[in-house]
Amino acid sequence: MNAHVNSLRQYLTDGNNRWIGVLFVLALLVLPMVSQEYFVGIVTKAVIFGLFAISVDIALGYTGLITLAPAAFFGIGAYSVAKVVVDYDASYWLGFPIAIIVAAVVAFLIGYVPIKRRIGEVYFVLFTMAFGVIVYDFTFVTTSFTGGSNGLAYVSPPMFFTINLAETVPFYYFSLFVVGILVVGLYLLLRSDYGRILHASRQNEVRMRYLGYDTDREKLLAWIISATVSSIAGAVYVGTIGVASPSLMEFALTGEVIIWVVVGGAGTFVGPFIAAFVLSLLENYLGSVWAEGYLIVLGVLFVAFIFLLPEGIMGRLQQGED
Amino acid sequence: MIGVVEALLLTPNEFVTYLLNGISRGMIIFLVASGLTLIFGLIGLINFAHGAMVALGGYLTIVTVGTTGSFWFGIAAGVLLVAVLGFVLEKTILHRLYDEPLLGFLGTFGIGLVIEQLLSFHFGDQSRSLESPFPGTIDLFGVAYPAHRIFVIVVGVTVALLVGALLSQTRFGLEIHATANKSATAEILGVDSGKVYTATFVLGSAFAALAGGLTAPITSMSPGIGTSYMLMAFLVIIVGGMGSFKGSFLVSMIVGQIMAFGWLFLEPTYVQMSIFVAAMVFILYKPRGFFGKPEVFE
Repeated sequence: MNAHVNSLRQYLTDGNNRWIGVLFVLALLVLPMVSQEYFVGIVTKAVIFGLFAISVDIALGYTGLITLAPAAFFGIGAYSVAKVVVDYDASYWLGFPIAIIVAAVVAFLIGYVPIKRRIGEVYFVLFTMAFGVIVYDFTFVTTSFTGGSNGLAYVSPPMFFTINLAETVPFYYFSLFVVGILVVGLYLLLRSDYGRILHASRQNEVRMRYLGYDTDREKLLAWIISATVSSIAGAVYVGTIGVASPSLMEFALTGEVIIWVVVGGAGTFVGPFIAAFVLSLLENYLGSVWAEGYLIVLGVLFVAFIFLLPEGIMGRLQQGED
Repeated sequence: MIGVVEALLLTPNEFVTYLLNGISRGMIIFLVASGLTLIFGLIGLINFAHGAMVALGGYLTIVTVGTTGSFWFGIAAGVLLVAVLGFVLEKTILHRLYDEPLLGFLGTFGIGLVIEQLLSFHFGDQSRSLESPFPGTIDLFGVAYPAHRIFVIVVGVTVALLVGALLSQTRFGLEIHATANKSATAEILGVDSGKVYTATFVLGSAFAALAGGLTAPITSMSPGIGTSYMLMAFLVIIVGGMGSFKGSFLVSMIVGQIMAFGWLFLEPTYVQMSIFVAAMVFILYKPRGFFGKPEVFE
């Protein structure tokens, strides 16, 4: 079973099978021509969640930072765009740089001390958990700033020259464009020397320090990149649902994205994307048949994964420990 | 500033009421935190299924009270069934995950999610509440105070004393200490560490269920209620020192009082946020908590 799954995973990540990826991208590109608009909207979200999962994988899989704050950064992105559009009546596009800056600054402030002090991973889990709760509470309580429990509603993407992004299909291509650029960029980044440094630091951090690498700085950088990409995913996502509400920051979303990453294979880049994509489509399908079923199925699947192939999941995650 | 004036203008009666509110609230947090800290202190497991156990205990109590009409039977059933579930989970899945703290965290996280979702599937998302077996009030220091909350305080103190005695006076307590410190040595000396792990996990889960059952008449139950208690309890055990039983009791009491009096100065959500901020500072600068050295776990 284990070997089977590993070989499957190998097959998916193997360079020789890149045509699968090409086919997938082609399928995404032609989708609006062959399917209903309703389904296109669902796939839009699935693609955005795929990017979100990759961003979390950078922290979780590539850097070994087990974070319980992804939803907070996702929400920061969503709220940045919503705030700019709804409250300040400014350009939708301005929301993106603001989302990036806010997320990067917050990630730096939150990540600097724990990473420099090298608190244990158990403590990092609890630290980011507390941060997530604070951000969630904050959106609830600062009604004048964030709209409280109602959130900030009526975010509508603008016209882009003659294309109305508020429509489903144009926004689908817009999301595809943003996600595509980021995925390719991150892929190249993680294959570059920087990715190797991260990989090597996970394998033997002490030796990397002897070799003169400032591993704390590399980790902090990865943490900030992860948070920033999460926030961009949130910023795009808010255009599909039109409202930034506290539910985006709920613990449930953090839970979901961690499950996507772990089930997809932490540290495999493609795996979390595929898992997020497939599972969020499943969520939509189950949503119409058995509304509460999705999280039950997801949870059982997750426990089964951990139970049946801990090595497969943890293999990449834990390589740095031995 | 207005808050300060208000606080100074509290009548003695109000003061006693808030104080008792803080104690009863702290007791519930303590019951949740004590289970967590035992499990973490001994096994090193961040048990994210704990909150679901609280909710499950609460719902089982409500359901059993609904069919039998007896609160005592209900709470006993809640505690027992959750203890059995804890036993089964520990024996089948969890004990395999102890070597990897992260797998343990992820595994219990998934289990908690499944339990919570099943609750919300079966009971819906509306909250439910329960009649207390002690509906009236009791005169205490000249204040008419809800009897059920007094009952909660009594149960909390009893549990604290019993577990304190269990840890410090009995053979089983000694085995827990031994296993937590040096499990290999303990095994050579004849301690069955597997059994000690199982018993501790079951005990911790039972406390969670007890907290759920006790809180049902005070706060209405919803499937997610355990998670908020669990998050608070995690912070309590961080500040109290992970694995320290006394620490978790003391810090629970302090947090209870902060919540009871804090709203005079700040909105409750801000009170909660500042508690979480304090916990983050503790994680960074005093990860071993208030008392430096945890008792059970080194």
